[in-house]
Amino acid sequence: MKTCLVVDDSRVIRKVARRILENLQFEVSEANDGLEALKSCKEKMPSAILLDWNMPVMDGITFLRQLRKEDGGKAPVVVFCTTENDLAHITEALTEGASEYIMKPFDGEILEAKFSEVGLL
Amino acid sequence: MDDLIAEFLTETAESLEVVDSELVKFEANPTERKTLDNIFRLVHTVKGTCGFLGLSRLEAVAHAGETLLGRFRDGKLEVTPLAVTLVLHSIDRIKVILAGLEATGNEPDGDDHDLISQLEAMAEGQEVDLSTVKTVEVPDRPIGAEIDAAEITAPALGVGDIDPATGRALRPGEVSEAELEAAFAAADGPEDGLKPGDIDPATGRQLRPGEVSEADLEAAFAAAEAPDWMNDSAPEPVAEVKAEPVKAPEPVKAAAPVAPKTPAAPEPAPSLGGEDAQGIATTQSIRVSVDVLEGLMTLVSEMVLTRNQLLQISRNREDSAFATPLQRLSTLTGELQDSVMKTRMQPIGAAWKKLPRLVRDLSYELGKKIDLVMEGEGTELDRQVLELIRDPLTHMVRNSADHGLEGTQERIDLGKPANGTIKLAAFHEGGYIVIRIADNGRGLNTARIREKIIEKGLASRGEVEGMNDQQIHRFIFAPGFSTAAAVTNLSGRGVGMDVVRTNIEQIGGQIDLNSVAGQGTTFTIKIPLTLAIVSALIVGAGAQKFAVPQTSVMELVRTGQNAEHRIEKINDALVLRLRNKLLPLVQLGPTLQLEAAKDEDATFVMVIQVGERRYGLVVNDVLDTEEIVVKPLATILRDVDVFSGATILGDGSVVLILDPNAMSERAGNMLEEKAAEETEETITDAGSQKVAMLLFKAGNGAPKAVELEHITRLEHVESSQIEIMEGRAALQYRGKLMPILTVNSDFSGLISAHSDETHIQPLLVFTGEGYAMGLAVDEIVDVVEDHMTIELSADRPGVRGTAIVAGRACEILDVDYYHLRGLAEHQRQPAHSSEKAVA
Repeated sequence: MKTCLVVDDSRVIRKVARRILENLQFEVSEANDGLEALKSCKEKMPSAILLDWNMPVMDGITFLRQLRKEDGGKAPVVVFCTTENDLAHITEALTEGASEYIMKPFDGEILEAKFSEVGLL
Repeated sequence: MDDLIAEFLTETAESLEVVDSELVKFEANPTERKTLDNIFRLVHTVKGTCGFLGLSRLEAVAHAGETLLGRFRDGKLEVTPLAVTLVLHSIDRIKVILAGLEATGNEPDGDDHDLISQLEAMAEGQEVDLSTVKTVEVPDRPIGAEIDAAEITAPALGVGDIDPATGRALRPGEVSEAELEAAFAAADGPEDGLKPGDIDPATGRQLRPGEVSEADLEAAFAAAEAPDWMNDSAPEPVAEVKAEPVKAPEPVKAAAPVAPKTPAAPEPAPSLGGEDAQGIATTQSIRVSVDVLEGLMTLVSEMVLTRNQLLQISRNREDSAFATPLQRLSTLTGELQDSVMKTRMQPIGAAWKKLPRLVRDLSYELGKKIDLVMEGEGTELDRQVLELIRDPLTHMVRNSADHGLEGTQERIDLGKPANGTIKLAAFHEGGYIVIRIADNGRGLNTARIREKIIEKGLASRGEVEGMNDQQIHRFIFAPGFSTAAAVTNLSGRGVGMDVVRTNIEQIGGQIDLNSVAGQGTTFTIKIPLTLAIVSALIVGAGAQKFAVPQTSVMELVRTGQNAEHRIEKINDALVLRLRNKLLPLVQLGPTLQLEAAKDEDATFVMVIQVGERRYGLVVNDVLDTEEIVVKPLATILRDVDVFSGATILGDGSVVLILDPNAMSERAGNMLEEKAAEETEETITDAGSQKVAMLLFKAGNGAPKAVELEHITRLEHVESSQIEIMEGRAALQYRGKLMPILTVNSDFSGLISAHSDETHIQPLLVFTGEGYAMGLAVDEIVDVVEDHMTIELSADRPGVRGTAIVAGRACEILDVDYYHLRGLAEHQRQPAHSSEKAVA
């Protein structure tokens, strides 16, 4: 089964994402910030990561950079999902190796579409 | 309202509390980057989450606030107090909307244009007019109250119901698909670029929420340099990477109308397991509703009662096989009680969270620079208690800022540091938590309070004249007392300190103050750690039993006829002389007007400390110590202030719990006088009243004085009549031999005078129960009436100290000392009575 790690500092958003992803047959795990996410990835790389930008302790972009340096850290599909929707942010994310970029708020359809684009579904 | 909203409310409330205090920190130190980042992130998260829940009003406010904060963060705008105030306004507005949401489940109606336009203006660097922004009253949320999902949620689907969309039962914490969809449908998109609903020119269809317009994406991909590894693993040319996502939306667009709104997929079982594993891995704390904890507490309380009953039964049976397991049960119950108590404990910081913001607002409004120092935020106490002291604390901090501290200019003129300081400190002391609120302001205006006391008729002018400063200061706790010359909108409404005192006393706490003119005022609050279970002494008086909370009992003193400490009577008031101090007494039985108390002898004095005051409670018997569960009093008894509650003892009997605080009132003003004397480390029998004193000369040094009431007679006898032997002297007086003493035990003067037939020896005669004694003095000077205030303490036996009497420094005679010496002489007398040898 495909696994997806939801990284967001809001419990509400994690809950929403979990709900959608479980419907898409993902096994979902959660992390509250970049550091927690990194720890979780080191234990077991997920197939996909839904990543928030602004988080305490370690933000999304830092996490992404670190992740890509890890062994096997290039494998997971990283979908940035944040309200930071200006060009500079999107560019930065893609430069650092994000596979897709969606805006909050997202819904099931959007997520499904994006995931199928990157070949997860 | 669904539980997503409930979760959101809890999460947001937590975030906002942090924002409040962070902003104050930030204003104090605008260069602190980390603080600003924190604030920004929190507001940002609130905004991000709102989008998911369709809370458009909230999102708009959060968005405007975030934009402004973003400007600060990018260094494009300077942080001014005005700007912070504006941001604080927007946070208040968010709170109001949240409160409405919490109450009704829907965003309340309202227009935030006033606020948003100002926020935007400031972000644009334009002039801002704060007066156009409506200020809102932020309703208080109870401390630490979790939003109880069960309480506020009326979900369309209950947990376990089958969601028609997914075809499976909802798990706890889940929302039905339909609800989610509804939330999304209501959600507004972000402000920048294309909004959801706008037609994206690239795809020719409306943007759905969550989508980035194709043009944006394309531009981003064009600008983005794919990292090297991407090129390595994917051999496609860069252009390909660029192009692919641009095309990607096409199939989605086609699929969208066809795709079922909700994939009716059966819930895969493994994900359940996955969730569980996740729970174990990350969960170190869980959220429990306060009701559950309260319920637990009640159960433990009942258990303690039952244990007490069992112990009582076991105590009466010596050979009981239950004794050992019962002991174990008792220990476990104690531990259980402690553990449950811990779950209710919260750091007092929770009640202080709002204060930095409050002080900041006040300092702005009053034009005073105020530093708030907080110590011991981690000190824990029962959340029920915490809830009850939050308002009083807020009020007192407000008072300190408003009345206590001087204006900045005034402070500078006085040579004080320009910034006034309000210091909050909390620490544990015994079963109590002590909270101090200190300011370094002007101190209480004693003269004005005195005027006010008379004006309000709280005491007569005569009474007020006789009071010391502290007694006068305490009147600020009297009902309806407020000295504020100008009623500001902050305090000075006249519902001040008496309400504070009532609130604190209601929870068994005590409040006292200490004010020094020009240096500031310190309030000290002592509150019990918990209200539910207390250790108590069970005492008897008037054939009844009473419980006295142990925390206020300092010591027990055995008294009575043969005891070392005896109860004495001064000016109709009972006192106990204990370690050279006089302790005012209250008799429990007579005070409660118990008939049976009339025939009882007082056997114990409980020394009770209430605030700074100390008094003795006279009881007939001390029976036991017991952990008691405090039950509220029946309505019929609620007006009797000397009882604070009732409890059930181990033997099943119901006893009333005495309120040491209220009892102290019964000791009346005498208490105050004694307390004042005690602080001066002196003892004055009659306080500041005038006493008749006999002045005389004896021995060397200063003239001596003794209260006239102690002297039975003054005698002048011929020196030759005094018989002197072996360093002792005696006189045949009224058919008995009366010992004669001198102030320095030196009889040489008496011996030399003995041969002088004409010398007349003045004697002070003291009498006790069945005996008498004489004190030989050189000369009786005068009898005067004066205040007697002992100013220097004694340096040798027989002297109580030095006082100014009739303008002269006199040594005050310790009559008790001479009584004892006289008694000792009497006991020696019979053995020597036959040899009346003359030296």
